Amino acid sequence: MVYSKNDWNKLLKMFTTVWDAPSGPQMFQHCHLFPRALGEVAGRHNVQELHVTLTEGLWRYEYWGFPVSDAAPGAELWTWFRNDTKDVDNIWKKLTGALSGLLCASLNFIGTPNSLSPEYSFRPTGVVKNSNLNSSFVRYATLPREIVCTENLTPWKKLLPCDSKKGFASLLNAGHIHNTNYHSLGLHIRPVCKDAKCTEVSIELRQTVSLVYDMMILGFQNQDWSLRKLFGLGLSGPCPLATSSFIYVDVTSNETGTPYQLQPEPTEVITSIRGGYESKFKVYNIQKMSFTHMLNIVATYSTPKVYAVNVPPVLYASRYIVGYGQERGGIVTKIHNNHWKHLDIIYLENIPWFLPIYLHTLRVVAGGKEITPILKKYVPGKERSRPYSLEVLLRIPARSVTEIYIEFDYVFLKWQEYPPDANHGFYIGSAIISAYLPVGKNYMGLPQAGPTIYSSFNASREGFLLQLRTESLIITLPTPDFSMPYNVICLACTVVALAFGPLHNITTKRLCMKDGNSCNGLLIRLKSMLFKGRKPQAQAH
Amino acid sequence: MRALLFFVTIFYVNEYVQAVRQIPDDILRGNHTNNWAVLVDTSRFWFNYRHVANVLSIYRSVKRLGIPDSQIILMVADDMACNPRNPRPATVFNHRKQHINVYGDDVEVDYRGYEVTVENFVRLLTGRLFPGTPRSKQLLTDEGSNILVYLTGHGGDGFLKFQDSEEVTSQELADALEQMWQKRRYHEIFFMIDTCQAASMYEKFYSPNILAVASSLVGEDSLSHHVDPAIGVYIIDRYTFHALHFLERVSPDSMKTMGEFLAVCPKQECISTVGVRRDLFPRDPHKVPITDFFGSLRPVELGINYLNVSIALPLTENTIRPVKQEEKYHYAQQFPTHLFQTRAT
Repeated sequence: MVYSKNDWNKLLKMFTTVWDAPSGPQMFQHCHLFPRALGEVAGRHNVQELHVTLTEGLWRYEYWGFPVSDAAPGAELWTWFRNDTKDVDNIWKKLTGALSGLLCASLNFIGTPNSLSPEYSFRPTGVVKNSNLNSSFVRYATLPREIVCTENLTPWKKLLPCDSKKGFASLLNAGHIHNTNYHSLGLHIRPVCKDAKCTEVSIELRQTVSLVYDMMILGFQNQDWSLRKLFGLGLSGPCPLATSSFIYVDVTSNETGTPYQLQPEPTEVITSIRGGYESKFKVYNIQKMSFTHMLNIVATYSTPKVYAVNVPPVLYASRYIVGYGQERGGIVTKIHNNHWKHLDIIYLENIPWFLPIYLHTLRVVAGGKEITPILKKYVPGKERSRPYSLEVLLRIPARSVTEIYIEFDYVFLKWQEYPPDANHGFYIGSAIISAYLPVGKNYMGLPQAGPTIYSSFNASREGFLLQLRTESLIITLPTPDFSMPYNVICLACTVVALAFGPLHNITTKRLCMKDGNSCNGLLIRLKSMLFKGRKPQAQAH
Repeated sequence: MRALLFFVTIFYVNEYVQAVRQIPDDILRGNHTNNWAVLVDTSRFWFNYRHVANVLSIYRSVKRLGIPDSQIILMVADDMACNPRNPRPATVFNHRKQHINVYGDDVEVDYRGYEVTVENFVRLLTGRLFPGTPRSKQLLTDEGSNILVYLTGHGGDGFLKFQDSEEVTSQELADALEQMWQKRRYHEIFFMIDTCQAASMYEKFYSPNILAVASSLVGEDSLSHHVDPAIGVYIIDRYTFHALHFLERVSPDSMKTMGEFLAVCPKQECISTVGVRRDLFPRDPHKVPITDFFGSLRPVELGINYLNVSIALPLTENTIRPVKQEEKYHYAQQFPTHLFQTRAT
């Protein structure tokens, strides 16, 4: 578990299970700690690597830095299938159906019409045999509308060896963790090297929960935080099946910002230098601590809160829609580069099939000057069968704001294709910006070879892979008036009735003369009774 | 003469139909062997919060009385608990004073959001699902299953509205249940419905072994119980509120009967009249325990005889070991830096 504090409270919990298995179709048949339900799904669908995330909220890179593991708002699923898979589209559809049953999410809405095969953006994070990567075996899809609630947390917790009874998972109370600005559940399966020789492969399952609390909304008057305030209860002990169980508190900002004291005292303090930047962590080794009572880590502040100037990270992005009317519009992505050197990025756009984009309108402008992309890969979409996929490799200049602009058209859909709440709008999934950062500032991602947070300390590499996700967008397609058929029927029937009635009367009834005195109508009789006095006067005139 | 011949034919045809309709003895005599529940909320949008609270109240009771999640199909058309408008996230209460959090900590929703459609509902009941549908989304009942079917939402005379865009009619529902009967997919069904003019939905049933209760008769509206000023919407419907109140006092070994449950909301509480359809149900509801539908008691036979279990099978070792090829794996390059070096200016 990693905890870091800026003006917001950021928290990551990570559960890693590494499991040895021979590769091949029998890989998931013998289960000990590895959850059998997930193993069967992965084994039957020939999965080499699987990443599922369910997220509510948007990660604000400008204020919060970089997360340990990033996720797009809604549901995001990407998979690498094995090289011997025959019909990838078919097996992808079956996999999403199986995962929707496992995680209680509507992942079965993912299919070929909204999945793409990115060439450069989603490389396998696990081990591979040969370097030639065939991108026809990767599938990526996102459902921005998907919500995440207790019904997703329940099966997620059941996949852990200790369930939610012991260990960190006992802290995951739905009422507390869903009351956050950002919460994300993740499941990541990948093959890893069993040993240094790397001739055999193990399967690693990583389950992550990322949370960002807003202390103001929670109603706490002072800035003190504790496990009990965040989760509602303290920690009762480690999971007995775990090999290691740690809590890391990021105290890098303790020297620069408002200082706080941690109680109880941490087991050790680690200073990590990564990519040229130093960060300090206070570590609690849960397995070495005694649990006579519940562990509650408390941070108390001695001085009032000081709002420091926010220093944004080296790379962050935002996206929005321009244009007016319901005929055409444009998507603009703004990428901010705060580094003193140029950065190489890969920009992936995932546009649904009902929003045709025009490649000739693609313009990349950085600091007022237009720059040409290094490489572009465009897979045009096909109505109802394929989305639009655009990958652009760019070199963005130092200390600049780059704008990528592309135009699209609004189309009409068939009336059955509108969802029941059509006026809410249609979602466009996040754009993904992959970069290879040369510096490790604000960077908390895990290295490729290491499964735990401990492996990220002092893990300097020549570059750090970063994937940013932008906002997902809502657009209002021209929506028909669904009450129109009902209104038309009512109107038409009224007109027909009004026309038919008198016509029928005139053609079928015969007019005949009537005596003046006999049979007056009811109204006339009433009037004559009421105004008996007046009547002679009227007649006199 | 011709008329007489006509009537005689009708008489014989009727006799034949009755013979087919006669429930086979083994099914009439046998008890149920497992319990399932199909709980459906069909309404979308925040102002239909009460329908989600309704279905979760029944879910909570059914789960508490013993039916496992694998045998409950819960369909919720919209998300209220984690809705941004909900001031208490991950909770759905049945009372404004927050008496019971019916959402709970251990809930599994099988069909949610846009998946709750008439097509999926009828496919679920009849069992004609697409290949590859996960088990948690299938109704895997057999001829010994007692099923509790609960529907809530907005309804009218002869129809139930799904998500404000489509409807299921009472005839379709009756036909779906008849298909279930023909395929021996149920032993007995208890059908509960809490909508306006709910009784119209069970009027067309013609399959045997169905006991139905509705929160209002044709021509009446089912009313909601009270509004929660903190949320701003009606929080639960009257019939389900009283049904939950009754079920909260039922324990898994309770001796309460279905007859008591059918009388759960008198007219002064519910304002609408609760309708009951008993003619398709051969047993007397006052003699049927409530756990026949709401609980999941599995009959256990206790014996004093010893069973001889000998592990006499020798452990065979797999002598044929797969030939391990010495292949070197390596981590794939995460970022294609080579593309930038060759082409960048």
